[in-house]
Amino acid sequence: MGETESVEGRPLDEQELVERARGGDARAYETLVRRYQELAFRTAYVIAGGSADAEDAAQEGFVKAWFALPRFRAGAPFRPWLLAIVANEARNRRRSGRRQDDLALRVAEDRPSGDAAPSPEAAALATEQRTLLLAAVGLLGEADRQVIACRYFLELSEAEMAAALGCRRGTVKSRLSRALDRLRALMAEQGGALPATRLQGGDR
Amino acid sequence: MSRRELDLDAALADLGAALRFPATPDLAAAVTARLEQGPARSSARRWPAWRVGWRRLAVAGLAVVLLAAAVLAASPGTREAVARRLGLRGIGVELGGPPPPTVTTSPGARLDLGLGPRVTLEEARRRVGFPVLVPGAAGLGRPDAVFVDPAVPAGGRVDLVYKARPGLPASSFTDAGLLITEFRGQPEPGFVKKVVGAGIVQQVTVGGGPGYFFGGDPHFFSYRDASGQFREERTRLAGNTLIWQRGELTLRLEGNLSAAQAVRTAESMR
Repeated sequence: MGETESVEGRPLDEQELVERARGGDARAYETLVRRYQELAFRTAYVIAGGSADAEDAAQEGFVKAWFALPRFRAGAPFRPWLLAIVANEARNRRRSGRRQDDLALRVAEDRPSGDAAPSPEAAALATEQRTLLLAAVGLLGEADRQVIACRYFLELSEAEMAAALGCRRGTVKSRLSRALDRLRALMAEQGGALPATRLQGGDR
Repeated sequence: MSRRELDLDAALADLGAALRFPATPDLAAAVTARLEQGPARSSARRWPAWRVGWRRLAVAGLAVVLLAAAVLAASPGTREAVARRLGLRGIGVELGGPPPPTVTTSPGARLDLGLGPRVTLEEARRRVGFPVLVPGAAGLGRPDAVFVDPAVPAGGRVDLVYKARPGLPASSFTDAGLLITEFRGQPEPGFVKKVVGAGIVQQVTVGGGPGYFFGGDPHFFSYRDASGQFREERTRLAGNTLIWQRGELTLRLEGNLSAAQAVRTAESMR
């Protein structure tokens, strides 16, 4: 946000920033925070379940990460390390018994534009299907909902998912697969309207 | 992966791409400010949530709102006491956050308030899963414009727009005099109204049922819809707002009306 960066330059850039931050360069750390604040906030949101708690958790996570930087292993990927700290803060808030909102994510409406745009009817249908699917995800248990959100809504890698969910990397795949099974069963129960089959006709 | 697995995988990926998260707050500034305080301060107790909201207000530079909010945000206990004094049992009042963006419109499209596709009243009735009510009060009746969102919240939402007319002054933001929103919602206990600033909140009775009248400052409006999700709405008219319940429908009326006028209009809806 606000900062431009080339995809090719990113890995080296990140390592350099982390190195500088480890050396006490607060400006370098601020750049890192800016780069990852959206990821951190959204991850915390998925886990804590509310905006205020997510903001609190992400902010506290970034502060703790700064003081933990001397223990960060040089050359290791920064994102999973950061996400583990932020997610832990988010879990603490979820457990602290404060009022929690459910995941209040919203489906963006298709804005038809250009020649390839879907018809208004197809766009409305696609929005409706997505809303149904999101509602079904919302009906899953917390653990299932979180693993699906990490994979599909946050697009985390396996290592990042493991870090965010606080589990071993080896168990991420099986957790996701079980969650998808339950989602599929839930949708079949709700009248068999699995969006994917209908999406193929009406979407995109 | 089997075909079915691929379908669900693709549908979830498609959903992920279309999702909207709440806006990311500017954490970089807040984190940097805290780091400048040094480790001793930052290892102190966590900032409670109300201070986060207060801080956000300060950043927004809303001097007037800040004064009002600072009083109410003095402590969660004080805030609760104020909410109780306002007779808000079952409703949460939350202070904080930037002022709601008011939809501005260009001349010529001043009845289009960013509400979604414009349809006829009949078309709206066909597309939502509830009977659409219109006010029978003198001078109202058939709306000047109707907008429908068939998907969100579940069961759909209809917006009726009335042009300004005698007895129904125009909002300062649009030519519209009155906006009525109808949807199927769950009013309590998840019925939440977020008020920014020092607005007036009044408990009223609409056709024998409970209603709430919000006057004064602009505000956010959140409600839990039929699928249990929280939704947040922008205030479209800067005027006063009445919210009430009829059966499973939640209705909202916005305009430059007094509480009594708003209730009369609400009670005339058939």
